[in-house]
Amino acid sequence: MLSAILRRIGLSFLILVLVSLFVFVATEILPGDALDVSLTDDDLAVLTPAQLAEMRAALGLDRPAAVRYVDWLSGALVGDFGTTILTGAPVGDIIWGPLRNSILLAVLTTLVAVPVAMVIGIIAAWWRDRAPDAIVSTGAVVGYSLPEFVSGNALILLFAIWLPIFPATITLYTQGPMLDMLVVAVLPVATIIIGSIAYLSRLLRLGLVESLASDYVERARLAGVSERRIVFVHAVPASLVPTLNAAALYVAGLLSGIVVVETVFAWPGLGLELINAIRKREVAVVQAAVFLGAVGVVIMNLMADLSIIALDPRVRRNTGRS
Amino acid sequence: MLLETTDLRIGYLDGARNMKLAVDGVSLALDSGQTLGIAGESGCGKSTLARALMAYTRPGSRIVGGQVRIGGQNILDLPEPGRRAIRGRKIAMVPQNPLSSLTFHMTIGAQIDEILRQHEGLSKAAARARSIALLEATAMPDPAAVHGRYPHELSGGQRQRVVIAAALACQPDILVLDEPTTALDKTTELKVLKLVSDLRDRFGTALIYISHDLNVIARVCERICIMRDGKMVEAGPTRATFAAPREAYTRMLLRAVPRTTDPSPVRPPTAHPAPGGPGAHPVLQVENLSYHYAAGGLALPFFPRRKGVLAVRDLSFSIRAGRTLGLVGESGSGKSTVAAVISGLLPPGGGTLRFCGTPLRAAASRRSTDLRRRIQMVFQDPLSSLNPRLSVGRILMRPLRIFFGMNPIDARAEAGRLLERFEMPVAMLDRFPRQLSGGQQQRVALARAFAARPDLIVCDEVTSALDVSVQDHVLDLLLSLQAETGTACLFISHDLGVIKRVSDDVIVLQSGEVRDAGPTDAVFATPRHAYTRLLLEAAGSVIEPIPGHAPVSPASQGTNRGDLHA
Amino acid sequence: MPGAIPGTMPRAMRQILRTPMTVIGLVLVLVHVAVALCAPWIIPYGPSQLAGMPFEPPGDRFMLGTDVLGRDYLSRLLMGGRITLTVALVGVLIAIVAGAFLGLCAAWFGGLTDEVIMRLVDTKVAIPSILLVGVLIPGFGQSVGVLIFVIALVYVAGVIRTVRAQALTIKPQSFVAASVLRGESSLSIMLREFLPNVADLLCVEFAIRMSSAILLVSSLSFLGLGISPPTPDWGLMVSEGVGYIHTDPWLVIYPSIALCTLVVGLNLATEGVANALGLDAARGMVKG
Repeated sequence: MLSAILRRIGLSFLILVLVSLFVFVATEILPGDALDVSLTDDDLAVLTPAQLAEMRAALGLDRPAAVRYVDWLSGALVGDFGTTILTGAPVGDIIWGPLRNSILLAVLTTLVAVPVAMVIGIIAAWWRDRAPDAIVSTGAVVGYSLPEFVSGNALILLFAIWLPIFPATITLYTQGPMLDMLVVAVLPVATIIIGSIAYLSRLLRLGLVESLASDYVERARLAGVSERRIVFVHAVPASLVPTLNAAALYVAGLLSGIVVVETVFAWPGLGLELINAIRKREVAVVQAAVFLGAVGVVIMNLMADLSIIALDPRVRRNTGRS
Repeated sequence: MLLETTDLRIGYLDGARNMKLAVDGVSLALDSGQTLGIAGESGCGKSTLARALMAYTRPGSRIVGGQVRIGGQNILDLPEPGRRAIRGRKIAMVPQNPLSSLTFHMTIGAQIDEILRQHEGLSKAAARARSIALLEATAMPDPAAVHGRYPHELSGGQRQRVVIAAALACQPDILVLDEPTTALDKTTELKVLKLVSDLRDRFGTALIYISHDLNVIARVCERICIMRDGKMVEAGPTRATFAAPREAYTRMLLRAVPRTTDPSPVRPPTAHPAPGGPGAHPVLQVENLSYHYAAGGLALPFFPRRKGVLAVRDLSFSIRAGRTLGLVGESGSGKSTVAAVISGLLPPGGGTLRFCGTPLRAAASRRSTDLRRRIQMVFQDPLSSLNPRLSVGRILMRPLRIFFGMNPIDARAEAGRLLERFEMPVAMLDRFPRQLSGGQQQRVALARAFAARPDLIVCDEVTSALDVSVQDHVLDLLLSLQAETGTACLFISHDLGVIKRVSDDVIVLQSGEVRDAGPTDAVFATPRHAYTRLLLEAAGSVIEPIPGHAPVSPASQGTNRGDLHA
Repeated sequence: MPGAIPGTMPRAMRQILRTPMTVIGLVLVLVHVAVALCAPWIIPYGPSQLAGMPFEPPGDRFMLGTDVLGRDYLSRLLMGGRITLTVALVGVLIAIVAGAFLGLCAAWFGGLTDEVIMRLVDTKVAIPSILLVGVLIPGFGQSVGVLIFVIALVYVAGVIRTVRAQALTIKPQSFVAASVLRGESSLSIMLREFLPNVADLLCVEFAIRMSSAILLVSSLSFLGLGISPPTPDWGLMVSEGVGYIHTDPWLVIYPSIALCTLVVGLNLATEGVANALGLDAARGMVKG
């Protein structure tokens, strides 16, 4: 069991190193360096080659790529992502506040979406192939067909403009108090959970339907075990294994959705910061934001894997999740 | 009467949404302490019937008529809670596949405890004590430890004991066993059968035993009923029924069961000249074959990883043209490894292999095309051995095109001839494997092997997935093709009856070691090793010979299949 | 092994046509595809033509009014799916072909090949797709070519996973062993023995990834990372209209409806077809 856990953790680190390599190569090596990317054509027309070389030296861009990568990675591992090229401000100062706000959004979404999805999934599986199941299934298909910028704007129209209950956009500072953020978070969270609930409830329904059709459920039924016990003690834990496996893949999708939602509602999070940084070609911020996003995904995947190890005694001895 | 069904009918919706009857008007009766066997081939409705005895049907089917009375009460009249109170308490089921029938994330103990707590309202501690006692009653070693283990941590035989213990938890009046030993080795099956008989004597439980294996039913059951297509064909005391079956179907079934007392195959008097030279070498000569699976497992695709296991040790044999060597053993005996090494799925291990006199040194991918052609293999599961997405025609044409360079027109014509030789219509060339029956699939697989005109054919459990009547036909075809072509055959099976039917010589393997070897008649008549005797006992020839029908004497066999030996 | 056997297609077809939701989905998809194909010949004005005054209300000249620059909104709406559909289609096709090949390689060769391919897949899966685009834009710029490359990169990982998982269930089957014993080459085994058995799956994968890719391209355009103005594109039109949502919400509503009917239709159709083929689409529908 311990070796299985250690293997998962080791793999997570390997993936993060590969991610960092990819992020670094994509932004710094091909086809120009960070300075070329950051400066506009106008800047380049004004600056002399000597000035450019001087700036490169100041930023450490004249060193070999491998050295800069190791430098960047060792900094990133302790939370130091260097300074921005244009202003020289530490990247950390720019991203920690938004990161907190994004995590708040992600946590709120998870807290609401997971229980609701479980209830809906169990309802659909319990009444399989009957009206509740059909409604849930069709609703789910529609649910994950709606892009966040459509459902977000729809909610703004409905609940901020036509029925002015909530503020349409967030006019808080990045460091705003948590409680204020909770109030304005209602519409953004509602936007994200549409897709999350749709997706997770379908996964759970599928896992439950498979589990309820299994030989072990039949044996328990033929032994006179009550249906409630069969669903909640036998089938639900069993169905969580495939659900978690697939849901781990969804974490990345959730983060993509958060980026869009932050833009729609002007939520002062890391996603909004990232979009601004991309527009301004602020490479150091882009690197940091993308890397932190990947860290989030890897941590959630690791948690899913560890939950599976806890739920399924069969994988405690074996190695890989396929 | 303890249990009685009258005119029980169970319907299901088929693919075209028509109601079909899986069980059609079955009436049977069982008194306390009695044993009843329900036998029949796959799809006859015996498992559906077994579940219906507990007022349970699988989704998609339902009981459309008749009664099931337990202790005089029609349990089909009961609402769901009433049915649930009977299941597990008055009538309990031992399912077919113990691994998939136990919840993987719950301990053994939790799964037996919950039945006791549900039906008898026992406290946690009392339930635990009872279930440990139950496990002990099934001769489980270290029952207290097993109580805390998970299903995947037990062996197949132990898991079977667990589901039996769970079924007996509330001391039901009736125990329904649905093919409880089909997945087990014969010697393990023998132990489980003895256990079931012991427990029955101890608790006085009435047994209903569902099986396709007439031998097993003959061992356990006083009375038998034979089912076919959902109908009860024949019922009566087991001995009497086997001694004097009334129905033609029962006679056919009994005749098809291969027995260790059957005569060995009759070979045509003139042996075929060995290929590769006039009578010089045996087709296959194996000396001191050893095979060791590397520690950590092999990266080869077709076999599960094992850790540093010696699969076969010092195996020597030879096979001559037109003859068959039977290789018999239980799971883990190394018999499939031998097949894989000779066919070339695994690289050769220690020892020397000679094929028609020339050494066989490499795995299939490094052998010459001609060598690959001359050694063919037929696999166990007929469906898995045919690509479901290729038509029968394309499946049969492939070896013809590769080995003989035939053009598509000739290859198709030849494929058609092969099909006819294997007694299937040419029209089947355009069908797909899943549209064929199991027997047809296996005949296509055999045809594909014989298409290459091999000198040696390796058959790995080729009939173990088939019903006995189908198995009989496939074995007949194999014997006649062999007689026609002079192909040598290495025939691997766990079934001693089947081995006896097809092989001239036999080798008994256990854990990779040879226990017995020699001419089949001699080995089976006077087994030297205790393990061979155990296998023979487990195989059982309990079915009495049917007067006037069996055993088939060599002479009558000659007339039966005279055309095949021409 | 999942998958309908050849010869049961008529039955699958009947099941598809019996499910109303699937039929609705298919109709929506067909209408959208037809509009996208015919749009240049049916639009009343050029999509970038400044045909009228800004924010003209719907009327005789402009059935849906005009946008912020005075362009005919109906024309832009009818043209607005073409570029997204094209980008998604080409990108997903590349992903399907490359993913099928790599997934089969991973499953068939196993060992180091498998390990390398799957670790790269894990790496891609760890980067949310919008972030992946974000990291590429500063270096590679923003063009349709880059967008297609990004779509292929985003979806190839999922296709590899799915194909590999399916191929691993095929690998232990005896017909594969039989082809090895015939001396078939690895390529021939992958093409003859494996590929026909993953074909159904690839069709469903294609449909699932298409709907997901359409959503992604639109979202990127909305964020200003995808299609660039003045190309008519639904995601872009929503982002151009958001500023006027208080006064002219229809600028947001029309392109939203157009986009959603396409994606909902595609997903409903996929779901029905997958069910009829005996596959379950639910676990594949990951946005990533």
